[in-house]
Amino acid sequence: MKLTLTTVLVILGLTTFSQEKIWNTFEGTRVLNNHSTEMLYKHNLEIIIAHKFGDIAGSNGGFDNFFGFDNLADVRFGFEYGATTNFDIGLGRNKGVNQQTQVIDGYAKYRFIQQEKNGKPINLTFVSSMAFVGRKASTDSTSIAYYKEPLERLIFTNQILVSRKMNQRLSLQINVGYHHRNLVTYNDVNGMIFTGGVIRYRVTQTFGLITEYNHVWNRVKATGQKNPLSVGFELITGGHNFTIVLSNGRGINENLFLSNTYSDWLKGQWRIGFSINRRFKL
Amino acid sequence: MKTKFILYSLVGLLAITILSFANLSSKTTISSLTNDELANLSVQEVLIELKDEKPIHYIHKENADSVRMGYELVHFGQLKNKSNKRISKFFVCTDCHNQVKEVRNLSIETADERLRYGIKHQIPFLPASTFYGLYNKRHWYNGDYYKKYGDLVLPTRDTLINAIQLCAVQCSQGRPMQTWELRAVLHYLRSIDYKIKDLSLTPQELEYIKLHLGTSSPKTIKMIKSKYAETNPATFGDPYISISDDAVGNIENGKYIFEKGCLHCHQLGKNITAFEFDAESLTFSFLEKKLKKHSNYSVPYIVRKGTYATSGKRQYMPQYPLEKMNKQQLIDLIFYIKSKSK
Ligand code: HEC
Ligand code: HEC
Repeated sequence: MKLTLTTVLVILGLTTFSQEKIWNTFEGTRVLNNHSTEMLYKHNLEIIIAHKFGDIAGSNGGFDNFFGFDNLADVRFGFEYGATTNFDIGLGRNKGVNQQTQVIDGYAKYRFIQQEKNGKPINLTFVSSMAFVGRKASTDSTSIAYYKEPLERLIFTNQILVSRKMNQRLSLQINVGYHHRNLVTYNDVNGMIFTGGVIRYRVTQTFGLITEYNHVWNRVKATGQKNPLSVGFELITGGHNFTIVLSNGRGINENLFLSNTYSDWLKGQWRIGFSINRRFKL
Repeated sequence: MKTKFILYSLVGLLAITILSFANLSSKTTISSLTNDELANLSVQEVLIELKDEKPIHYIHKENADSVRMGYELVHFGQLKNKSNKRISKFFVCTDCHNQVKEVRNLSIETADERLRYGIKHQIPFLPASTFYGLYNKRHWYNGDYYKKYGDLVLPTRDTLINAIQLCAVQCSQGRPMQTWELRAVLHYLRSIDYKIKDLSLTPQELEYIKLHLGTSSPKTIKMIKSKYAETNPATFGDPYISISDDAVGNIENGKYIFEKGCLHCHQLGKNITAFEFDAESLTFSFLEKKLKKHSNYSVPYIVRKGTYATSGKRQYMPQYPLEKMNKQQLIDLIFYIKSKSK
């Protein structure tokens, strides 16, 4: 009797008192390329400038291309805004990769659950993003850019992110999602189901190591696409956040790197990328 | 018949006239107060009953609506119904100013007393003065704040409303407040002014006050004013401290200063600074490492100098004058940081 009473009281206690929230599972709204569960503060505007260079080694890399610095793989300028504590919107312009160039992307992101000290064990965020390929349509009917109507230029990615800050140093994230291109080459699939994982380890207050991997389950082997794997580190200084990444993916936005990665780590086709964030209060 | 009527009317009129006089004289004189009633009176009202000069910012009658609006402006930076623009996108007043009494005995307003009382009541340990009783002060932005703000402080030195305006624009890095907003904050400040019961008066002193209420009594005024400070003095400390080998810091005090002071603004999730941290070992190691250098991140330097607002990064850190964190308390904080970084 006493036991049940205390259990009831404990449960009541857990549910009625607002718990201390856990913040900064990740430093920024992106892990390396993909989204993190992290949100912008309300009224904060973030500007992200991200670059990825060409292959470091392999046939397109090496000294001739100064290890990739001579040819830029992708550039993205992003403007992201915390409309409320749990709702962000963003807009970006990408150079784009391969045949998908001049890409504009936009997203909406909602946090359903935020981890708490003695309450909810995880963060859960949903991101829906869309990209529009802006380039001139190709005249080559086998090209992925052979657009006959504007709708074919659209790419969508919806994903659920779940993360947990294990302690001050270690954060983990898994994500599952659906990626859809309205136009693909004849041997490819339009819809892809993917799962990803992230490990972040903070070595010091201002320095952290990160890996990020995404696996597409129904990838068509014949297309030669690869799953994007990135490793990197972050330098955290007040107001900016600087990440350096090594990745086989050329694209920066999820609408590009999930299906448009052809480079192979094992062939030296990985590159350096970096991103700088700056936050403003509006 | 007619004369009777006139007579009755006259008697009636007379009665009304007399009654109206009676009405007037039935207004309670303040001197017939019980001790409890006196205890709850505001110090400002009592001073005026003793014929003290009214301050420039004197408000005759508190308006409940204005008090509420002032409360909202101070706590949320705008009205709750969001009908006005935020005063500042960087701060609200409560980031730097408490709203409660910070010492037990107002005549002993030392940093040590503030810390002791603060620990007991878990009050934030902040660099600026509490709003409680600000209405009772006579001068603002005192002492070394002249060094920081220069001639800007001159108009605030004797006018509370100018002090509020300066703080909205300079301290909070916001827009100038409108006249109605300034009035509202003033009404709110009046609602949290000192009450007689805050003054630690002896029963004899209370009797003495009661005896003189309604008369001009400079002596009573002086006695009352000796029970609290009419200014918040400010002395800036040295950013380079040398801690002698035999110095000891009180780690419990340091913990309170860190948690109720530094974390009040820097806590993760607060969205006040771009330099957020928590009470974990990574943070302490970081702060400890910076202690060795005299860099801008070094705790003594940042506590004594603060930071300055720059364009693009307007939120800045206000410094702690010695009155708000004395030398020993800074040492306590450093000892706490060192003890936690191991
Ligand atoms: C970033 C910190 C900060 C914020 C935010 C801030 N203040 Fe201040 N304020 C100070 C400092 C520092 C002083 C210096 C004098 C003191 O408080 O002892 C001061 C002084 C004042 C004074 C004069 C006090 C005295 O005794 O000299 C008033 C009045 C005042 N502030 C009102 C406000 C109001 C109203 C707001 C909100 C709109 C506000 N402050 C927001 C830091 C701040
Ligand atoms: C009233 C709010 C407030 C309080 C209280 C406060 N800080 Fe700050 N602090 C700030 C702000 C605002 C900044 C500016 C950082 C930014 O946003 O870039 C800052 C900056 C800093 C910096 C970085 C300096 C730099 O050069 O960038 C350090 C270190 C720091 N604070 C330590 C402390 C410590 C230790 C305490 C406790 C004694 C403390 N702060 C209390 C608001 C505060």
